[in-house]
Amino acid sequence: MKIALLLDSKKFKFWMRKVLWRHLVGFVVVAFSVFPLIWMISGAFDVTGQISTQMLIPTHKGLDNFAQLFSNSSKPFLIWARNSMVVAISASAMQVGIGALAAYTLSRHRFKGRKLTLSTILIVQMFPQLLAATSLFLIINTFGKSFMFLGLGHQLPLILVFGGSALGVNTWMLKSFFDTLPTEIDEAAKIDGADHFQIFRKIIVPLATPIFVVTFLLSFIGILNEYLITSVILGLDGNKMTVAVGLQQFIYGQYGKNWGPFTAGALLATIPVLTLFIFLQKHLVSGLVSGSTKG
Amino acid sequence: MKKISMSKILRYLLTYGLITLILVMATKFLQDRAWFLSVFFYLSASLIFSTYVISKKTPGKYLLPGVLLLCLFHIYPAFYSGAVAFTNDSNGHQLSKTQAIDAILQDSKIPVQTELPINYQVVLKDSTREVFLVFKYSDSSYWIGNSKSVVKLDQSQLKFSINGQIQSVDGQKVLASDQVERYINQIQNITIKMASEITLQPIDLETLEASQPVFTYNASVDQLTNVLSGEKYQPNDNGQMVSDSGELLYPGWKANIGWRNFTSVITDKEMRTPLLAVLTWTIVNAFLIVTFGFLFGLVLALIFNYKHMRSKRFYRTIFIIPLAIPSVLSILVWSGLFTAETGVIDRIFHISTPWLTDPWWARVAVLIVELWSTFPYMFLISTGAIQAIPSEILEAAEIDGASPTKTFTQIKLPLVVRTVAPLLIASGAMALNNFGAIYLLTGGGPTFSNSNGNAGATDILISYTYKLAFNGQEGNNYGLASALSILNFVLVGAISLYGLRKMKTMEEIN
Repeated sequence: MKIALLLDSKKFKFWMRKVLWRHLVGFVVVAFSVFPLIWMISGAFDVTGQISTQMLIPTHKGLDNFAQLFSNSSKPFLIWARNSMVVAISASAMQVGIGALAAYTLSRHRFKGRKLTLSTILIVQMFPQLLAATSLFLIINTFGKSFMFLGLGHQLPLILVFGGSALGVNTWMLKSFFDTLPTEIDEAAKIDGADHFQIFRKIIVPLATPIFVVTFLLSFIGILNEYLITSVILGLDGNKMTVAVGLQQFIYGQYGKNWGPFTAGALLATIPVLTLFIFLQKHLVSGLVSGSTKG
Repeated sequence: MKKISMSKILRYLLTYGLITLILVMATKFLQDRAWFLSVFFYLSASLIFSTYVISKKTPGKYLLPGVLLLCLFHIYPAFYSGAVAFTNDSNGHQLSKTQAIDAILQDSKIPVQTELPINYQVVLKDSTREVFLVFKYSDSSYWIGNSKSVVKLDQSQLKFSINGQIQSVDGQKVLASDQVERYINQIQNITIKMASEITLQPIDLETLEASQPVFTYNASVDQLTNVLSGEKYQPNDNGQMVSDSGELLYPGWKANIGWRNFTSVITDKEMRTPLLAVLTWTIVNAFLIVTFGFLFGLVLALIFNYKHMRSKRFYRTIFIIPLAIPSVLSILVWSGLFTAETGVIDRIFHISTPWLTDPWWARVAVLIVELWSTFPYMFLISTGAIQAIPSEILEAAEIDGASPTKTFTQIKLPLVVRTVAPLLIASGAMALNNFGAIYLLTGGGPTFSNSNGNAGATDILISYTYKLAFNGQEGNNYGLASALSILNFVLVGAISLYGLRKMKTMEEIN
């Protein structure tokens, strides 16, 4: 009785006609979106470790792939993870720091050459560093002839190279955020005797923490994801690679053999980034809002 | 008394420490003949000094660190590509000319026949513990020396035992054979340079071998001569010594070859055909992915921007998952899923498609993966653009009796396209260099049969360049790779410039 009423109701007819198909499309797109992620997860827990027998829900579940991943001494996943962390954390800290300094003066001070600097940054941004990867390789090679620790196969030059793109990557985003902070606070601080660096450190930086978090995380994910320059500078030596480069070397042309441990490693590397991303999303929206109301 | 604050001391230490460090590095680069780096570091040191110590102006203090790093690691490499593109820098062509000729002379040594084996004995100088070899050479003179120097000995300086063996030199006893072994590492590195280019090297613990380079170099006419055959070698314009009969000597050196890297890709058919294919696919791929991605994103945005629908937030969150998985990893997973027959895709759809081995299927696979990774962004910007359309316009259209189709094609679509156009052009410029999606998925393959084994059907310029420079089938060719990078710079620059123009005209409209 009730069901008949419901089926007959105007609302339901409307839903059938106008809404249902949208959910069907949604279902298909969701399936497409999560497709590789689902298979990555199922591969990681499939004990047989074979791509050719892999089912959506593995018949033999277990953690063997993870054990294999950690016990492979020629493919040291933990060392790759550490390398990735060292490079990504120091390089993104450098990018945010350098970007923030430049963004502060570009936002707060009026000086000759300001417009030129801003447009130069815009132009440089169009030409990503990877276009000149061959030259970067040759330059770092020259560095290494004079200073071993700045040569190929070392992390410091890679961090510096990423630091070199700081102005292009972060400055505009940080500057537009700084522009939203009212200048009245600066003026008040100036009257109290604060110099420009104190204003930056004690007023701007605390107010801009949310945007720092956002740019840091974006840089961090970008660097974790970088393959070309990283592989060129660090080389393909077992202990020096990052997760991105190492897992590529691990799986390339070996889909039959290494699929299980590879998916396990990929999953382990995806989880923190995926979590960060969900966290970042909230921050991206609410951070921008809260930043502008605090002032 | 004025208080000196900790931070001030720290700042001084930091500034002067940094300047000293940079000066030290600049000097080392100068010694190692890295001219540009040396000049750049000296300049940086003086800029740091003038900005942080002398100048009272603030902006420079904030900009300098970023600007210096930008110049060194972003702008300099771009110009460096320009310089390398005019050289033949590649495996076998990386030394300077003098280094290369030295290497040829060193590598071409042949033994000189001596009547008797040259026996040596070892003397240790007391003061420096330096190892010297004493030996009888050619006629009947005795010599003492090591890699650094060699001198003829006077009979009076030597003392012989009864059986004719040397006992001591200048009162310094020669080492007994059991002691000699302790110095084997130093001994085996000794090369004694005698007159007329002849060198002596120990071949065991008692004998020296005399050898002589096959070639002699005459610097004034820039010519190598083979002493045995008398054949003469002269430098060619590709940084190599070559004889009249065309025989090349290795290694070569890094030479300026003018426009040859550029002209060879046009004139040499073996390079032109694959390059044209790569260039075409670079542009077509970027165009298709932006078009498909945008259309897909726009349609989704239209479907899910519907006020009577629930759980829109849920869909939105799931749709952007491709953005949240590190793309290197997701592409590698895709690559596994696309494996023919054994791969998941073929098995779940019960098909057998040569995804990564057939040129056209490989291109389709690339497009599917790129669509997967770009549609979330397109969906987000389209949603934003649709929601930004003022509702008054749509209401006005409704009042005027416009049909939904007409409202869409004549109002919504033009407005959305106008908003997102600059973003689409930027995406296009990025898609030109979507290295990961190509290199990690297909490796640029399947390889063309006529391309010296480098270029493949899905290669775009950046992945082709990478393979030429670091993965070459015929050695790594940095010069050619740099020339192609320049082509890529031009392509990206043209599209970005077009985008900027478009943005500017739109600002003017607004």
